[in-house]
Amino acid sequence: MGKPAIAIILFILLADGAFAAEPVDFSRDVLPILSDNCLQCHGPDQKSREADLRLDEKDSTLRTKEPIVVPGQSGKSELFRRLITTDSDEVMPPADSPRKLTAQQIDVLKRWIDEGATWGKHWAFVAPKRPALPAVQKEDWVRNPIDRFVLARLQREKLSPSPMTRRETLIRRVTLDLTGLPPTPEEVAAFLADKSPGAYERVVDRLLKSSRFGERMVWDWLDAARYADTNGYQGDPTRTMYFWRDWVISALNGNMPFDQFTIEQLAGDLLANPSQDQLIATGFHRNHMINGEGGRIAEESRVDYVQDRVETTGTVWMGLTFNCCRCHDHKYDPFLQKEYYQISAYFNSVDETGRNDAGGLANPIIRLSSPKQKQQLQKLRTAEAEANKKRDEVIKQARTRLDDAKKVDADPQVVAAKKEAEAAKKKREGYERSFSRTMVMRDRAKPRDTFMLVRGAYNKYGDKVTHGVPATLPPLADGAPANRLALANWLVDPAHPLTARVTVNRFWQMFFGVGLVKTTENFGLQGDTPSHPQLLDWLATEFISPTVAQPSVKNSHADNAWNVKHMLRLIVTSATYRQSSIVKPALVERDPENRLLARGSRFRLPSWMIRDQALAASGLLVEKVGGPPVKGYQPTGIWEEATFGKIRYQQDKGEALYRRSLYQFWRRIVGPTIFFDVARRQTCEVKVARTNTPLHALVTLNDVTYVEAARALAQRILLTPDQSDAARIAEAFRRLTAREPKPLELAVFTGRLKTLREHYKNDPAAAKKLIAVGESKPDEELDATEVAAFTGITTIILNLDETITKE
Amino acid sequence: MNPFNKRAADLTRRQFFARNAMGLGVPALASLLPGSLSAGEGMTQLGGLRDLPHFPPKVKNVIYLLQNGAPPHVDMYDHKPQMEKWRGKELPESVHKNQRLSTMTAGKSKAVLPAFSKFKQYGECGAWLSGFLPHIGSVADEICFIKSMHTTQVNHAPAITFFLTGAELPGRPSMGAWATYGLGSETQELPGFVVMTSRDKEASCGQIFYDFYWGSGFLPTKYQGVKFRGNGNPVLYLSNPDGVSRDVRRGLLDDLKTLNQLKYDEFGDPEIATRIAQYEMAYRMQASVPDLTDFSTEPKHVLESYGPDVTRQGSFAYNCLMARRLVERGVRFVQCFHAGWDHHRNLSTQFKIQCTDTDQPSAALIKDLKQRGLLDDTLVIWGGEFGRTPFCQGDINDRKSLGRDHHPYVFTTWMAGGGIKRGTSYGESDDFAYNPAKDPVHVHDFQATIMHLLGIDHERLTYKFQGRRFRLTDIHGEVVKGILA
Repeated sequence: MGKPAIAIILFILLADGAFAAEPVDFSRDVLPILSDNCLQCHGPDQKSREADLRLDEKDSTLRTKEPIVVPGQSGKSELFRRLITTDSDEVMPPADSPRKLTAQQIDVLKRWIDEGATWGKHWAFVAPKRPALPAVQKEDWVRNPIDRFVLARLQREKLSPSPMTRRETLIRRVTLDLTGLPPTPEEVAAFLADKSPGAYERVVDRLLKSSRFGERMVWDWLDAARYADTNGYQGDPTRTMYFWRDWVISALNGNMPFDQFTIEQLAGDLLANPSQDQLIATGFHRNHMINGEGGRIAEESRVDYVQDRVETTGTVWMGLTFNCCRCHDHKYDPFLQKEYYQISAYFNSVDETGRNDAGGLANPIIRLSSPKQKQQLQKLRTAEAEANKKRDEVIKQARTRLDDAKKVDADPQVVAAKKEAEAAKKKREGYERSFSRTMVMRDRAKPRDTFMLVRGAYNKYGDKVTHGVPATLPPLADGAPANRLALANWLVDPAHPLTARVTVNRFWQMFFGVGLVKTTENFGLQGDTPSHPQLLDWLATEFISPTVAQPSVKNSHADNAWNVKHMLRLIVTSATYRQSSIVKPALVERDPENRLLARGSRFRLPSWMIRDQALAASGLLVEKVGGPPVKGYQPTGIWEEATFGKIRYQQDKGEALYRRSLYQFWRRIVGPTIFFDVARRQTCEVKVARTNTPLHALVTLNDVTYVEAARALAQRILLTPDQSDAARIAEAFRRLTAREPKPLELAVFTGRLKTLREHYKNDPAAAKKLIAVGESKPDEELDATEVAAFTGITTIILNLDETITKE
Repeated sequence: MNPFNKRAADLTRRQFFARNAMGLGVPALASLLPGSLSAGEGMTQLGGLRDLPHFPPKVKNVIYLLQNGAPPHVDMYDHKPQMEKWRGKELPESVHKNQRLSTMTAGKSKAVLPAFSKFKQYGECGAWLSGFLPHIGSVADEICFIKSMHTTQVNHAPAITFFLTGAELPGRPSMGAWATYGLGSETQELPGFVVMTSRDKEASCGQIFYDFYWGSGFLPTKYQGVKFRGNGNPVLYLSNPDGVSRDVRRGLLDDLKTLNQLKYDEFGDPEIATRIAQYEMAYRMQASVPDLTDFSTEPKHVLESYGPDVTRQGSFAYNCLMARRLVERGVRFVQCFHAGWDHHRNLSTQFKIQCTDTDQPSAALIKDLKQRGLLDDTLVIWGGEFGRTPFCQGDINDRKSLGRDHHPYVFTTWMAGGGIKRGTSYGESDDFAYNPAKDPVHVHDFQATIMHLLGIDHERLTYKFQGRRFRLTDIHGEVVKGILA
């Protein structure tokens, strides 16, 4: 390597490691190195621990008897000697292990010892304290506290933030982020024209009030909750959990405080006099897969579901990888296998059998009714009771009249009364059966005992355990009952170090593409250290107890705590969020992943949002919140092939084809083919992939949805009267990118339009075929050649990198 | 390579981008991208990891013919003539040791059921195989039969997941994803990991093909298997819409490229360059996939060698020929699933049909590969997710309902191709083909061996996820040296 390489190495040392001038920070700098390289054999797991040495605990690492670390003296420390020795029998990690420390990491450990070997706890297991707002040099750039933390870091790195992005880009960015749909040209124009102070904030408030907000935000929650419309596994029967999905949309739109949002989903059934909605909310933990395979041991399935709930709860609220503890103590984090099963006790007493015992669904379920239906049902119940009463009276009378039981049974009055009672019962039952059903949580009257399971096997019992939470985390409230409600309350206790951090980090990831902690799913020792630890803690504490006044987004708590819209509004109104995403070569070289936030994020939209955007821009979108899932366009044979012809895909007609992506029917064993890089909805996922493959190009170029949207958009611009070609093209361009095309871009389009016109004029049959794609009828008023030629143009626009990217 | 160097190398690549981006046309830039796939970190020209292969590979490609449902080893490959003396008698407890079985036969009587068909000797190696397998018999001298395979899974989906990902629960990368992640792809026109499925004609006892069987787990999704479908377009959305000719499409893509390049010049985001390259590969696939599936160029004798079903899309024979055509074009890992072996109560009717459906195409594939000089570069694997019980499920006196239950404790799998000791068998089961008697081969050993043949040390190809370095073989697996040439 020549000189440039040395420069790179220096940069890495500065950017990622401890600053040479700054003291080593145990949690940030030392613990990750120990965790990566040592804890596998010298960590929490009792069974794989070597030499009776734990490097995740202070007492063991800094022991005074046969010390391995002598604070202040790396030269006398056995730990350091083992790292630098050339003796292959003594070197650590062992020569035959795949682990090896870099020179830089060894230096960090050396300096840590020399600086006194200060011990600490992993940052994420200590409750966040609201940090003081850092002083910065460019006060005028700062719009809210978020910016102070970002700017302070940039200034430390001798970087400047990027300028604010163009206003067209900004309104497109925030509209997509908060509603999942693009702004209309009218909305863009209004924003561009509004030069008064607070114009942008007014746009944000408008978006936060829109019902589209909940429809956008719900997607990530559906991924986390492994929501689907079928059970998975063999047979893959349909379930009806969309009531829960609609509950989430409405909770998000109503800005339900996040603590309440948590409690109702984890334990709504245990609240006093739970409402039907609160019961529906508990569907969160019934969204897991259900295995109805023949020959399957029901208890094994039931245990699977309990474990899924433990692990999903761990990931979603705490960013913890509890799954490791199913079989053994955690290798890196201070969690014991026993503690895993203590948490599992909270989910172990659900009144369920492990079988599909409720006609496609599995108990416990509830039947849903509107107030009107409830009234009607009450009438039928009364009628049934009356009929029963009458029958009993008639029998009683008959018994006094007749001496023989057989004669009583045969008595015409008795027969008639019995028949009537039976009919009333049937009527009530039939009416009840017509109600929709959905799965909920409900505990058994007598709780099950919970045992540790050897290697997680359902039938290999270890020690009996009681309800409890990991010792590393704060204790349960005094006198907390042994039920889910206590667990939910514990999660949203302001003292909990993880819930708020993990949640705001997911919000950040949603808008910036990557969280402040990159490993959204893992805040443990093996997780990523936060790029801006103080910002993360400020956001977490602001979430728990707000200090910044934003009257437009108050929630139902008197103190405005756990206010989701408050947090989202803070993020999107920050100067950090408003930066341009243009990548300067020097900056991309320095910070390829934009962890320092010296520019706006630029990444491809989720595939579901690309579809919604195309429908909205073309005018095809049908907006209707909630309801049963719909079956949009799908190439033939997908379900049939996956199910050996047992389940046929019956595509819907009409409006259903143009509903938003979140309403697409999600078959668990084979999800909708139009989406790519989406969560599989089989187990909890809080982070989705963003790949870039040729198969994605084939979808947006060839799927019926996109071809039809291109044609509908072409029609839409052709219907604007008295327009030049260039003006029409500009309109389509604006609908997708929110900006005017540049002359050079326009020239490319108009050139192509000329060729396409020529082509379709010479081949009118091809034009007719192209505009006939999709179920919406082509506009007969318009010339087929023109529509086809413009469809070519709109196809290009729909596939532009800019269109499918959030800039 | 340690992570520190990897980061440095990666940055160098990025530096290159940043410094040269403005001076190069995008097409030239795109051709400099590793492989033709998305710009990844620390990659070779093929898009694989820079420190792979770990040692010279024996094969470049793998074709895995997974027999979904579990073929009965007792009836096909594991010759136990002495079992005839025990026909209908209760299997001794000293043999079955009350090991766990599926709920269908647990606790029931275990009447010994010897091989359903007569065994014959084949080839110079004298391998004993079922008389229902004359074609596989004809290539016995190319094959190594592993007769001591065993697994810990007894239900289909977990067992297949275990075979392909090293873990019984979904969520880990499939073997083909690991291989393409590590080694990259030799083709620019087709995906590096292709999956095809087929099933018995009557669909009498089909199993579901879950997409996590070929999933990329926590690896980036570009490594997941691309499933070629059994009807219509083998790749979804491959055809241009009606009314859009290839010329029109080309024109649109030219403009798209120009406009995206303008965007790239302004924004400098490397993802834009990748996007341009991917749209171009999509265009190439639109031509290469139909060419791939056009069997009209195959000589008649080749088509005939695969048997009468070869032209029926979605049949096992069709998929076998496709597998050859795929590896010929540089596809790294071809995974064929064939369902139809779950003979709980229809051994007397279905077993022979399944042998017929799979015997000839499997053998033809080996001959075809050999004839074209591809067999030395290719590993062909044939086997199920477990075996079937050597005792009878159902009434042994009712021939029509004869069957066998799932059996994880021993079964047979075979391999042929580069690096394999040909015309041999490895390992042995006990007298009742119930447990391994010699040289047991566990699923993780089998996986370690496949990786070894590809030039990969299974312990060193790892991926860090949720704080743990995961690998295909979990924390187990030893290369089965005894089957290597």
